[in-house]
Amino acid sequence: MELKVLSADDRRARVVLSDSSPAYANALRRAMIAEVPTLAIEDVIIYENTSPLYDEILAHRLGLVPIRTDLSRLNLREECSCGGEGCASCTLTLSLEAEGERMVYSHDLRSPDPEMTPMPGIPIVKLAEGQRLKLEAEAVLGRGREHAKWQAAVVGYKYYPEVEVLESCTACGDCVEVCPRGIMKLDGSRARAEEVERCILCRACVQECRENAIELRASDSRFIFTIESTGALPPLEVLRQACRCISKKAERMIALL
Amino acid sequence: MLIPVRCFSCGAVVADKYEEFRRRVEQKENPKEVLDSLGVERYCCRRMLLSQGEFMESMHAKGP
Repeated sequence: MELKVLSADDRRARVVLSDSSPAYANALRRAMIAEVPTLAIEDVIIYENTSPLYDEILAHRLGLVPIRTDLSRLNLREECSCGGEGCASCTLTLSLEAEGERMVYSHDLRSPDPEMTPMPGIPIVKLAEGQRLKLEAEAVLGRGREHAKWQAAVVGYKYYPEVEVLESCTACGDCVEVCPRGIMKLDGSRARAEEVERCILCRACVQECRENAIELRASDSRFIFTIESTGALPPLEVLRQACRCISKKAERMIALL
Repeated sequence: MLIPVRCFSCGAVVADKYEEFRRRVEQKENPKEVLDSLGVERYCCRRMLLSQGEFMESMHAKGP
């Protein structure tokens, strides 16, 4: 099994997984979505709320805000030495105080830790003149399988496209014309596919070819993953953590057997 | 009322892009191009921004 990174920045990554199987690719996808721990607000203590939103709607909006997470410094609450009561090594307490007239944003939540801050720019509620908001929010680690607010990334994969142009190609250019992604190119006496990763397997070229000279296959051992982080962890870190989760689960399975 | 924080279908954060989206669309930019430049690719996330109705101010009128 092999992983190759096509492109990666702090929000998105494209990765090719080779020498694998559809079952493993899907396990990896599901692990990235549902098993990677991230921080999200779980409990909100509201001291004052004269905003137009009910307390529970406000708390729900706060919960969905992603918080940049440093996994090396926090424990899952149920695995923490405090026994699930909540302490500094499993809880991050944020505070918010605002008075109208203004829009309250996610970056108005003050975090005691400069490394673990809420993702900025998310509107929470708009306060009219004289309306006040004062609250404390406790963020804890959790997994996407429990609640979507802990989902670390939006992940999808597709089968790696294999485009083969046979000898019988006459370089008529019909496939070049019809390809919606523009990856078919004429190269002398034959058509050729460039940047096959962009192919969407629509088969338009196969249907258009009068000589039946194009063969299009979807590989079942190579996959292109698109990982879009919600902002809590960088996308490649999500992938790394997902691999760790899978190997931990495999170890537990062996122990059970 | 207020833009939902995340996309209902896929869970990607969309709320942080809403204010720029709205400002640029009000300046007569084509919504398709604005969504493309903001990196909102999937149609589930695009409908979140496109179909948003804003009536927070009318809530203020009835508030305390």
